[in-house]
Amino acid sequence: MRRIGTWIAVGGLLLATAACGGGGGGSKGGSSGGQAASLAVGFVAEPANLDFTSTEGAAIPQALLVNVYEGLVKLDQDGKIQPLLAEKWDVSADRKTYTFTLRKGVTFTNGAPFTADDVIFSLDRVKKDWQLKIKAQLDVVDRVEKEDESTVIVTLKHPSNGFLYSMATRLGAMFSRTGVADLANKPVGTGPYQLGSWKRGDSILLGANPKYWGAKPKLPAVTLKYFKDATAMNNALLTSGIDVISAVQAPESLQQFADPNRFQTVEGTTNGEVVLSLNNGRPPFNDKKVRQAVRYAIDHKALLDTAWAGRGQLIGSMVPPTDPWYEDRTGDYPFNVAKAKELLGGKTYTVKMRIPNLPYAVASAQVVKSQLAQVGITADIEPLEFPARWLDVVFKQGDYDMSIINHVEPRDMGIFADKSYYFRYDNPEYGKLLAAADQGTEQEQIDDLKKAAKLLSDDAAADWLFLFPNLIVAKKGVTGLPKNGIAEAFDFTALAKQ
Amino acid sequence: MNAGLIAGAVLVGIVVLAALVSFVWTPHDPTLVDAAGKLREPGGGYLLGADKFGRDTFSQLMVGARTTLYVGIVAVGIAALIGTPLGMIAGMTPRGWLSELIMRVNDLVFAFPALLLAVMLGAVYGAGTLTAMIAIGVATVPAFARVARAATMQVMVTDYILAARAAGRRRVAIAVRHVLPNIGSMLIVQASVSFAIAILAEAALSFLGFGTRPPIPSWGRMLQESQELLFSTPRLALWPGLAIALAVLGFNLLGDGLRDYLDPKLRRIRAER
Amino acid sequence: MILYLLKRLAVLIASTAVAGVAVFAFMALLPGDPAEIALGVNATPDAVAALRERFGTDRPPPAQFADWFGGLVHGDFGTSYVTSSPIGPQIGDRLGVTAVLVLGGMVIALLIAVPAGTFAAVHHRNPLGVAISAASQVGIAIPAFLAGILLVFVFAVKAQALPSGGYVPIAEDPQAWLLGLLLPWLSLGLVQGAVLTRYVRSAVLDVMREDYLRTARAKGRGRMGALWRHGLRNASVPVVTVLGLQLATLLIGAVVVERVFVIPGLGDLLLNGVAGRDLLLVQGVVMVLVVAVLLINFVVDVTYAVLDPRLR
Repeated sequence: MRRIGTWIAVGGLLLATAACGGGGGGSKGGSSGGQAASLAVGFVAEPANLDFTSTEGAAIPQALLVNVYEGLVKLDQDGKIQPLLAEKWDVSADRKTYTFTLRKGVTFTNGAPFTADDVIFSLDRVKKDWQLKIKAQLDVVDRVEKEDESTVIVTLKHPSNGFLYSMATRLGAMFSRTGVADLANKPVGTGPYQLGSWKRGDSILLGANPKYWGAKPKLPAVTLKYFKDATAMNNALLTSGIDVISAVQAPESLQQFADPNRFQTVEGTTNGEVVLSLNNGRPPFNDKKVRQAVRYAIDHKALLDTAWAGRGQLIGSMVPPTDPWYEDRTGDYPFNVAKAKELLGGKTYTVKMRIPNLPYAVASAQVVKSQLAQVGITADIEPLEFPARWLDVVFKQGDYDMSIINHVEPRDMGIFADKSYYFRYDNPEYGKLLAAADQGTEQEQIDDLKKAAKLLSDDAAADWLFLFPNLIVAKKGVTGLPKNGIAEAFDFTALAKQ
Repeated sequence: MNAGLIAGAVLVGIVVLAALVSFVWTPHDPTLVDAAGKLREPGGGYLLGADKFGRDTFSQLMVGARTTLYVGIVAVGIAALIGTPLGMIAGMTPRGWLSELIMRVNDLVFAFPALLLAVMLGAVYGAGTLTAMIAIGVATVPAFARVARAATMQVMVTDYILAARAAGRRRVAIAVRHVLPNIGSMLIVQASVSFAIAILAEAALSFLGFGTRPPIPSWGRMLQESQELLFSTPRLALWPGLAIALAVLGFNLLGDGLRDYLDPKLRRIRAER
Repeated sequence: MILYLLKRLAVLIASTAVAGVAVFAFMALLPGDPAEIALGVNATPDAVAALRERFGTDRPPPAQFADWFGGLVHGDFGTSYVTSSPIGPQIGDRLGVTAVLVLGGMVIALLIAVPAGTFAAVHHRNPLGVAISAASQVGIAIPAFLAGILLVFVFAVKAQALPSGGYVPIAEDPQAWLLGLLLPWLSLGLVQGAVLTRYVRSAVLDVMREDYLRTARAKGRGRMGALWRHGLRNASVPVVTVLGLQLATLLIGAVVVERVFVIPGLGDLLLNGVAGRDLLLVQGVVMVLVVAVLLINFVVDVTYAVLDPRLR
């Protein structure tokens, strides 16, 4: 990289810096405008590996889905399902048979053509090889058959509203039969981008896939730069090290980006419910009254204002506002210390609050602790390293009383129906509502899920602190930033720089 | 008495006083979240203002002093209790195999700095004040052992020890009656310096999230939490930063001053350590 | 001298072996089975057993240790259970970055400490000398990460003069490499320089009181000339020791600066490994750090012996 700055570099550090940010391979475009070569986007959590079929967590699909891996269908910005690798699909009258017509001329980045056999292979792999809890969403699939090279028929055990939606998530990602040998390091997909390089601990470079079947992405390369420290990420944007902060982790700092001549802020909603999980399976939170007391004891507005600078939305149950069955349930348990004390009946409790060591959790936990102390519940905060230790102790072993985590998966009401899930919530009524919703008509689905969300809230299965905001800060001139973060992927194909 | 010693004693005295008073009184509850008082400006009973949770900064600093001293005392205590006897044994038998073994193990322990030990301990037992204290303490053992050994070797060749040995006194008796009192001043100096290092280590660990757990106030964590507001509310970083710097300065000055005051001749040993 | 060297070498090798056992035993305490962790939260017992066999974690600990340590001797750190990529090259990359960071910081520290410390010693009675001593006391009291945060705030965020962080390999862009490292070097160098200044000052002061220096001065040499000719070698003994100590603690101590400046160094790798329960990686990094310190000690001891034969 030669720069004009070099000529005047002696003592002229000021000049050279406009272009010296980035660190990662592709972001050298800097702030100087002109040719939109590439873009650097800052993210929080670097994936440990690139295999989202065996590793939990949102970081991998966020980077790779839609960009590197494509499914038969995808979600658009309004949450509607659109064709992707399937040109179209037909649903039988009994809603149990889906006939997908595949796009022709699609190849994987390893050169192999994409055919019906790859669809069968990919869906079989979910059943056989995937290691994620969410794979249960595709248990509804009875069999997958090919009619010809570009037609696949999926037969379900029973009608399901969730099936096609799941196919738009990572579960529906299409893998090459010859491309799964080293998923952890070498992803092979059909998407507009392919993995360029991965500097561990620093950045992932995605370069345009020259053989892509569809429209070329506007940016030939995107650098995903990873920051463990929220302030470091802010500073990188302030100094042109990156162009976009994908999710602001220090919302109090937004003031730094107030200058509209340099920055823009996008604020919307996500699918991320920041849940105050209560262990329904052991004392004291196996007692509904104690759980209800917790919900009354928390002043959610104050919590959001202090812990997350008022950014986000109060929800009250497990449904984000972008889902059709959303209802504002914040009125179910209005802040009421007297009511909470009454429910506790003068008893005091000491509970273990085991939280991931993430900014929103550590901030929220301190507020929750302070507020619960007012009603006689002592919460001992214990931050665990995220992901591994938290997943092990809280998520897997269920050894906790109280936790705080942002459940980012889309349409994840189902996790409360699984009584082995770490909430240990067990109400057969809830499961029945969810099953009916999945099999019913569109309107039945909405009605049933509204009932289910109310049931969760009434039971105080957990407390919902707030809905995590989609808070993006970018340099002026960057376009195509999603208003609402409702897909698992951060879609780079829409991004452009003026 | 020199100026450094007095300055050091005053600074350390302030920290100790703040910590002691915090047990019985703070202006406000340092962990009470008060949304209405978010980022409250200094004044009106809030001497230094409040943080984004509406918690009183001054109260937090006072309780933070307690945390700091707590970590320092336990860490230095561990180091002194283990390091001093080992160093004395090595110093009293400078040519023996035991001495050799002690010093080699010492070198080995030295290869595990406080930060590394704290991260390892935190990984196994969960990070917290206790793991931080133990890690800092163990990592400080070699420093004490070396000082104790060097000082003991000097004391061992003095006339009264030679006399005591000639009189057939047992080694343990010599160690307790004669050596320990004579190397005491060196150990106090080392304790003061180690205390300063322990404060810095605790701050670094809290910064990395391996230190004191929230919401217990700790200067290091206050500093870490203030980062996102550095741009708009720099005082939130200023006060804990200043507190750390002054406390470390205080203990260092105290150590230096004590050394000069107690025994000017001992300078050399320390410098050559 | 050769005998001394051999003896120290034997101690070095023995220490490394003992450290290996200690690190391995410590890691065995870590809760959680690597195979279970690698497979996520809902793995079947069969899959876990199969993976355990592949990892070799189903065998008795001594056999595992022999394998691991044997590999280390050949420079093979094994393959991570979590990232399924070889560990050795990762550690190598990161060690290179940290080494550049720490050495650069120490160079700055020396550039500050030697002139400042010598000046403060030679002029220890005049106000400027006292001021330098006082400044070094203050410098020591500032945590390195605080220095880093302040430097970023002033030079990167406010002045927009230097990047706030990130690391560009020198092969990719030498200028960006240099500019990116300036602030991290300064953060380490200023604080360590303050520490070192005190030792340089006290070492020079001690030397100045020695008889041979007085003699040299009596013979008509200037103060600086006498110091240069006769004092430097003697003054450097304690300074080299402290330098070694600083280097040793900085290898891991630099992690806070790596965090502030988003530099992918060894400490950062260690924290990642801990967060991701990447046991073998953590084990490898700790071992590298420990051996590095042992090596530094060895070099310091030998340098010592060269500088001052009495110490052999």
